[in-house]
Amino acid sequence: MKNFGHVNAATLEEAVSALRRYGNRAAVIAGGTDLLGKMKDEVLPAYPEALINIKTIPGLDFIRYEGGTLSIGALTRLEDIATNDAVRNGHAALAEAAHRTASTHLREMGTIGGNICQDIRCWYYRNPQNRFPCLRKGGGRCYAIDGDNRYHSIFGGSVEKGCYAVHPSDTAPALVALDATITTTRRAIRAEDFFQVSAAKTTVLEDDEIVSRIDLPPLVGKSAFVKFALRKAIDFPIVNCAAAIGLSRGKVRSARICLNAVHVKPYRAVKAEEAIIGKAIDEAGVESSAAAAVAGAKPMSHNAYMVPIAKAMVKRALLGCK
Amino acid sequence: MKKDDRERIVAPEHTVRADKYPLDDYTAVGKRVRRKDGYEKASGYAVYASDIQIPGMLHQKILTCPYPNARIAAIDTTRAEALPGVRAVLRYDDPELPPKADLSGHFGQAGQPHEPVLDRCGYWQGMPMGVAVAADTEEIAREALKLVRIEWEARPFNLDPVEALKAGAPLTNPESYPDGNFLLPFMHEKKVTHGDADKGFREAEQTIEFGMRRDQDTWVGPERPCGIFRWNGEYPEVWLKHQRPHLAKRQLAQFFKVGMSQVTVHCPYQGGSFGGWSQMALNMQPNVIAGILSKRTGRPVRWQFSRREDFCGAGMDNARYRVKVGFKNNGEITALHATSWFSREGLSHTDHFVENSKVINIIQESNGAICNIFTGWAIRCEQNMNCYCFSAVMNHVAEALKMDPTELALINDGCEGHAMADIAEWKRKRGFEDRDSLRECIKAGKKAMDWDAKWHLPGMKKLPSGRMHGLGMSWAHEWGDSGGSAAIGIRIERDDGTARVLGLRCDNGVCAETAYCQIAADELGFRYEDVEYRPFEEAGFAPMTPDSSTNLAVNGWAIRNAARRLKQKILEVASLPRVTERPEMGYIPPFEGYRPEDLDVRESRVFVKKDPSKSISMAELVRPAFFMGKMDVGSTEPLFAWGWQNQQGAYDISGPPGPRPIFVRQAHFVEVEVDPETGGIEVTRVTNANDVGKAVNPDAVEGQQYGGSVMGVSRVRTEEVVYCPATGVVLNGNLIDYKINTMLDCGLIDTIIVETAMGYGPYGSVGIGEDVASVVPFAFYAAVHNAIGKWVDLPATPDKVLKALGKVQEAK
Amino acid sequence: MTTPSYPCPYCAAPFGSHEALKAHVVAGHGAEPLPKPHGLIALTVNGERHEHTVEPNTTLYTLIHDRMGLTGAKMFCDRGACGSCTVIMDGRPVLSCMTLAIECDGKTVETIEGVAAAKHPLIETYVKHHCMQCGYCTPGFVVTAKALLDKNPDPTEEEIREALAGNLCRCGTYPQHPRAVTEAAGLLQGGRHEKG
Ligand code: SF4
Ligand code: FES
Ligand code: FES
Repeated sequence: MKNFGHVNAATLEEAVSALRRYGNRAAVIAGGTDLLGKMKDEVLPAYPEALINIKTIPGLDFIRYEGGTLSIGALTRLEDIATNDAVRNGHAALAEAAHRTASTHLREMGTIGGNICQDIRCWYYRNPQNRFPCLRKGGGRCYAIDGDNRYHSIFGGSVEKGCYAVHPSDTAPALVALDATITTTRRAIRAEDFFQVSAAKTTVLEDDEIVSRIDLPPLVGKSAFVKFALRKAIDFPIVNCAAAIGLSRGKVRSARICLNAVHVKPYRAVKAEEAIIGKAIDEAGVESSAAAAVAGAKPMSHNAYMVPIAKAMVKRALLGCK
Repeated sequence: MKKDDRERIVAPEHTVRADKYPLDDYTAVGKRVRRKDGYEKASGYAVYASDIQIPGMLHQKILTCPYPNARIAAIDTTRAEALPGVRAVLRYDDPELPPKADLSGHFGQAGQPHEPVLDRCGYWQGMPMGVAVAADTEEIAREALKLVRIEWEARPFNLDPVEALKAGAPLTNPESYPDGNFLLPFMHEKKVTHGDADKGFREAEQTIEFGMRRDQDTWVGPERPCGIFRWNGEYPEVWLKHQRPHLAKRQLAQFFKVGMSQVTVHCPYQGGSFGGWSQMALNMQPNVIAGILSKRTGRPVRWQFSRREDFCGAGMDNARYRVKVGFKNNGEITALHATSWFSREGLSHTDHFVENSKVINIIQESNGAICNIFTGWAIRCEQNMNCYCFSAVMNHVAEALKMDPTELALINDGCEGHAMADIAEWKRKRGFEDRDSLRECIKAGKKAMDWDAKWHLPGMKKLPSGRMHGLGMSWAHEWGDSGGSAAIGIRIERDDGTARVLGLRCDNGVCAETAYCQIAADELGFRYEDVEYRPFEEAGFAPMTPDSSTNLAVNGWAIRNAARRLKQKILEVASLPRVTERPEMGYIPPFEGYRPEDLDVRESRVFVKKDPSKSISMAELVRPAFFMGKMDVGSTEPLFAWGWQNQQGAYDISGPPGPRPIFVRQAHFVEVEVDPETGGIEVTRVTNANDVGKAVNPDAVEGQQYGGSVMGVSRVRTEEVVYCPATGVVLNGNLIDYKINTMLDCGLIDTIIVETAMGYGPYGSVGIGEDVASVVPFAFYAAVHNAIGKWVDLPATPDKVLKALGKVQEAK
Repeated sequence: MTTPSYPCPYCAAPFGSHEALKAHVVAGHGAEPLPKPHGLIALTVNGERHEHTVEPNTTLYTLIHDRMGLTGAKMFCDRGACGSCTVIMDGRPVLSCMTLAIECDGKTVETIEGVAAAKHPLIETYVKHHCMQCGYCTPGFVVTAKALLDKNPDPTEEEIREALAGNLCRCGTYPQHPRAVTEAAGLLQGGRHEKG
C-alpha cells in the first residue's frame, strides 16, 4: 500500500475539519475493510492524501432501545448488532442482515456506518491500478455494458450517466425496509433517500459529512432479511431482500420491501408492496408481490438470471414475516 | 546376507506383485499417530518460505502485461531507474538475457517450450514480462514499474479455443506460433485410437451424443509463490517455495552455469501447491531474475507474487467436449468417440476407459488452440479431464438406460478391455488376493449414504423445502502417478540412538513425512517417537517430489529399503566384533557371540530373539560413540543407510503398458439439493470410499478425502476465472470475487477406507492425494443432473442452473 | 523485542517509554509536554508492552510478521477475505492485513504465538484431529477459535462453523476443525487449562 497521511480524530468536529482541510483528497476510515482493499489495489485515479480515523471518537459505539426506537452508533460493529438479542427481537431484519454480512472477522471489524457507506464492487471499477477508467471514475464509458455484467444492475443504470454497478450492502436494504433515519454531521436523512447515486457516489454524503448514528422507529409487525450469494460466508449478495410487514387480522396492513444488489442503490419494491397490501402472506400473495417486484426489470447481457432470484428473495422475505 | 534378505531390501519388481514381505505386526503403520508437523503448524512456528527475511534483502517486482496480447513497441526506464531506492532494473533487451531459456520445471529439457526469461510480448493479461525492478522495498519496486514508460502495441486476442481455430481468428502468439493458433496436445497425439470404434458402434444397441463444457478454475494456493536469491560469492543460495526443490536446483545451476554442487536450495514448509506453479517456467522466471539482480546488486533479492499476479499460476483447461457413445441395453459400453477443444495443455480425456474399464473401442480427438488466457496446468491432478469425460459418459449412459449408475459401473469395470474375470486371474498370478475393489467401494459408499433408499430417476424428487434432491456417483481407479525415482537416507544419532530420516523437505500437506516415520519406525523396530523427519537439503537425497503425486508409492519403498538396510547394520554392529590392527581400536559388541540373525529390534531396543530379557536400548548401543577415557570400549561405526527406489509407473497409457494393471478402485458419491427458484446448489453430503490398499496413515488418508471433497466441490460449483469478453482482462483475480468454498459451503463428508493391499506401494498401499479432488467434481456434475434432470456445464453457477431449468429469459 | 529508548532533550536522561519521558519533562524541567512523535504506538502483544514507530501504511500484519518476527500470522489473500492473518485485538478476532498498525496504539493484541505459549488446549486438539494439511491457514483458524472460546466457552457445532466461516482453507480441512474446537472447549471446561 502506498503511503498517506493519517489523522486520529478525537471528535466528530475534528474529523469534519480535517476533511475540510483536505478537500476531497482525504477519506474517512472506520473498520477499514472496504477502504484498505481499494487502496491496496489503487483502484481510484487519485490516491487519498490522508485517512481520517474516526474510531478514536468516543460515544459512537452503542445500541440503545428507547421507547421502541432503536438507536445505533455509527461505529457499532456489525457483529455486535448481529448478536444483540434486543435487535434480533425488535428489528430482526437488521440483525439478520448484519449477521449475513461477510464473515466473523469482518463483522468484528466493520461498522454499521461503514457498511452503508461502502463503495461498489463492480469488477471493472475494482480492477487493480485503475485498469478501467470507467464512467464512474470520470472516464469515457462503462465497461460492464459490453463486458461481463453477471453481477450488475437489472433495473437500469444510475440516473445521471448510466453506471450499472449495484449497491452491495446487506444492511442497507434492511435499513430502508425498517425506515431508518441516518444522522450525519450535517443532517438527518431517511435511509431511502440516503442512497442516492451521482456519477461517482453511492450516497448523498458530502465530502465533509460523516454518519454518526442510525435510528429505527419501533416496528409494528415483523421484519425479515434473506440473502442469496454463491457462498454462505465472505460473500457479497447476488440478491438480497428485506421486508417489514404490519399485519392485522391475517392481512398485510403495511409493507416495506427493499431488494439490494439489483440496482445502483437499494431498490425499494413499491409495486410489490402495493401488491401484498390487503392480502395474506400465503403462496398466492407472495407470488403476486414478487412478480410485481421484478416486473420492471431490464436485465443486461449476462444477468437475466438475477430476475428469478430477485423474485424468490421477495417471496422468502415476505414469508419470513409471517 | 542371505539372498532372500537382499531381495527383501531392494527387490525392483515390488510394484508388480503383491508385497511379499509385509510386517507381522504394525505398531506405527496404520495407526493414528501424533503427526510430526502438527505442533509446528498449529502453533504458528512452522516456517514457510514467505516467512524468511535475509538482512539487506531487496524486493523484486516484475511488470505484468495489461493486455491479453501485446508487444512493447518502445520502452523508457529512465524515470524508474532514477527513483530513490531502486537498485537495479532489468529489461527484456538486456544483453545478459539469453533469447531463450529452459525454465520449465516438470520435465526438464523435454516437452515444454523454451521461453525468454523476460519477454517483450505478453500473451495474456497479467503475464509477467518486459521489466523487472529490485528496490529497497516492495512499494518502491512497484512504484518504479509505474514510472516505466511503455508504448504498447495491443493486439487482438482469443479467449475461446473453438473461436481461435476458426479461419480469420487473430494470432494468439505471432512470435512463437506465426502459422496459426493450432496447438498439439500435451503428451499424446491429436488422434488416439484403441480397439475398433466402428465395430463398437455397429455392435451398439443405442448411441447417444452430447456436448459439455468446463470453464477455467485456478489453484489459489494459500502461500503465494516466492523466493530469495543470494549469491555467496560464487555460490548461489536460494530459498524457495517449490514442490520440486531438486529440479529447481538443476534449473538454476543450468541457467547460471554452475555445478549443482555449488547451489544450495532451501525449501521449508510450503503453503499448499497442488501441482500448478511448480511445474511452470513462470515459477522459475522470477528466481532466475532474482539471481541476475542479486549478482548485480550484491544483495539478496526477494520476490513474491501478489495474489493477483499469482492467479495466472495454474488453471485447468477451459475445455469443451463432444462425445458420442454406443452401448448395449444391458449397460455395456461398446464404443466411444470423444473430441475435445482446449486452450492450453489438452491432457488426454479417454485414458480412464482403457485403464479402468472394459471399454476398449475408442477414438479420442483433441483440438488445441492456444488462447490469450493464462497457462493451464494441472491442479491437484492432471487427470481432471479424464475424470470429467469418464464420469460424463457413464452418467449419460445411465440416464439413457434409466439405470442406477452404481450398477452401470460394475457392468463396465475392467481394464484394457478386459472384464473382471480376466483381472481376477491376473491378480492371482501376481500373488494378490482376488478382491473386487470397485464392488467393495460401491457397497461401502452406498451403505454409508443410504443410496438405495434415496436413489431416484433424474428430476424426480422434490423435497418438502421445494428443493430438488439429487444423487451422483463417479468412480475411478487409483491412477496416482506411480512411477519415479526416490532416494532417502536414515541415520542413527550417535549419542542417543534416535533415528533421523534425511531427505529434502517432503511436505505438501499430505502428512507424508509422518507416514515415512511410521514406515521407518516399524521397519527398524523403533518406537515412532524415536524417528523424526527433519528435512536436510545438504544430504542431497531427493525423495520423489514432495508434490503428492508420487509420495508414498515410490518414497515408501525407498524409506522401507533404507530402514531394512539400516536394521541389518544395527544387528551387525550389535553382534559382530570389529577386528582392527590396533586392538585398542577394536570394538566388542554388546551381543558378543551372537549372530545378527539371532537378534531383533523392538521398541527401540535390540534383543536376543530366543531370550528377550537380554536387551539393550539403542542409546546404549550407540553410546560408546563418544570415546572418552576408557580405550577398551570402541565406537560403533556410523549407523547410516540409504534407500533407493526406481520404478516404472503402474500403468502408463502414453508409453508401453506398465508392468501391471491397476487393481484398486474408488467410488465417490455426492448428494445435492438444488433450489429451482435461485439456481443455488447446496452439497449436503459427499461420501468417499477409497481403496487405498493399506492406509499407512489413516488420518492422512481421511485428510485427503476431506480436502479432495472440499476442493472438488468448490472448483465446479463456484470457482471460475472470469475474463472480460471485450478486453480479455481477468476480472476476479482476488479471493473475494474468486469463490473458494468456506466451511459453511460443505456438507457432511464421509471417509471410508477400503484396504485390499492391491496397490503398488509398500504393504500394497496406493496414494490418494490426487484422486478425490479430481473425481468428486464429476460426481457433483452427475448429482446436479439427477436433481433437475438437465445437464449443467461447469462450474454449475446459478445462471447456468436457472437457464437449464428454462427460467431465464434471454436478454435482448 | 527492543524497546526504543527515549532520551530527555534537556538532560539526556534515558526513559523507556514516551509516556515516561513526557512525565519527566513536565515534572523535572517544567517544560510543555512533548508532542507524541507521529507514528509512535504502544501496544501490548502477547502480554508484553511494545513501542514501535510505524508509517501510516504499515499494516498490523507487517508489524507483527515482518518487524516483530511473529510469523505465525500468515498472508493468504491480503484483502480481508481469508482469515489466515487473524489476531485477537481487544477480544475481537481481527484481520491484521486490513488493520493499520498506527491505529493500534493502546491496543492489546494476542497472536498465535501467544495462544501457543499459554498452552491453550486448542493447539493439541488441532494436532490430534489433523486440522491441518499444509498448515498455512492453521494459525488463523486456531486464533479465531480461541477468540470464539473466550467469548463462548461452550459453543455448538453450528456456532463453531459460523465463527470459522471466515477462514479459508484451500487444503480443505474444514470438517476436522469443529471436532478440535469442541474437544478444546471440553478441556477448558474441565479446568485443565490455566487461563492465560
Ligand atoms: S458499472 Fe459503473 S463502475 Fe462498473 S464499469 Fe460501468 S460505470 Fe464503471
Ligand atoms: S490475509 Fe488477511 S484476511 Fe486474508
Ligand atoms: S491446511 Fe493448507 S490451506 Fe489450510
